[in-house]
Amino acid sequence: MSASRLLLVCWAALATLSVCTVVLSQVGATWLLSIAILLVAVGKAWLIADGFMEMRHAPRLWRRLMVSWALVLAAVVGLTLLSIG
Amino acid sequence: MSTSAESRGVARGHLPGDLAMWFFILAELSVFAILILAFAVTQALKPQLFGESRQLLNTSTGLAMTLSLLTAGLFAALAQEQVRRSRSRHGAVLLLAALLAGSVYVVLKLTEYRHLLASGLGMEHNTFFTLYWILTGFHFLHVLLGMVILGWLAERCRRGLYNAVNRSGFESGVLYWHMVDLIWVVLFPLVYVLN
Repeated sequence: MSASRLLLVCWAALATLSVCTVVLSQVGATWLLSIAILLVAVGKAWLIADGFMEMRHAPRLWRRLMVSWALVLAAVVGLTLLSIG
Repeated sequence: MSTSAESRGVARGHLPGDLAMWFFILAELSVFAILILAFAVTQALKPQLFGESRQLLNTSTGLAMTLSLLTAGLFAALAQEQVRRSRSRHGAVLLLAALLAGSVYVVLKLTEYRHLLASGLGMEHNTFFTLYWILTGFHFLHVLLGMVILGWLAERCRRGLYNAVNRSGFESGVLYWHMVDLIWVVLFPLVYVLN
């Protein structure tokens, strides 16, 4: 796959996932849906890091740092909302 | 995600842009992580207030802002591909398209801010809106700076100052924009959606 085509695929996936976020929020407000919304956000962050920022070619440490930022943040946000709430 | 990256000079193990930019990005992500966590903890403590206040925001506008930022990110990434092929004029045109897409976000955000202020939903209205203004306002400033950087890169591209060899500064500028996108995809569900 050419680099430009890969970027277009990433963008299409990001746009689709963004619409999914809104659709999920309109289905209801359960903890399961909240987790699904956070997982979608992590997926989008991964697409930006690996696709747009080209972390797929980067040294492992930097790639892990960038991908784990959204993952750890979403996990902490999810646990916070579930535990304190 | 396998591409023809190696064939256009992006070797495996290569970190795009300048190393200093990556440390700057890490610092920025840390600051936003603290703000986002502050928002989440406060929401957990005041779920009803946050749920009611969030109803006053328009999710469709939030979605449109998301799409405009992501589209700007796509154009910026495509411009980078052109620069790597030493087609900097093409890169300049794509960066102008990125600026146009970014402008849609700016217009939507300013319209939203104006509407909220007209409805008396300023920073002092309640805890939700205090955090909303701090978080989105801080991000908005980053978008504006990102647009200045993209404009500057477009001008330098137009003058043919970037090519397949001399591109580190260009990549650093584009990375800044992607960082703004990265923050927004976490910020958007938290502020507009997550009940």
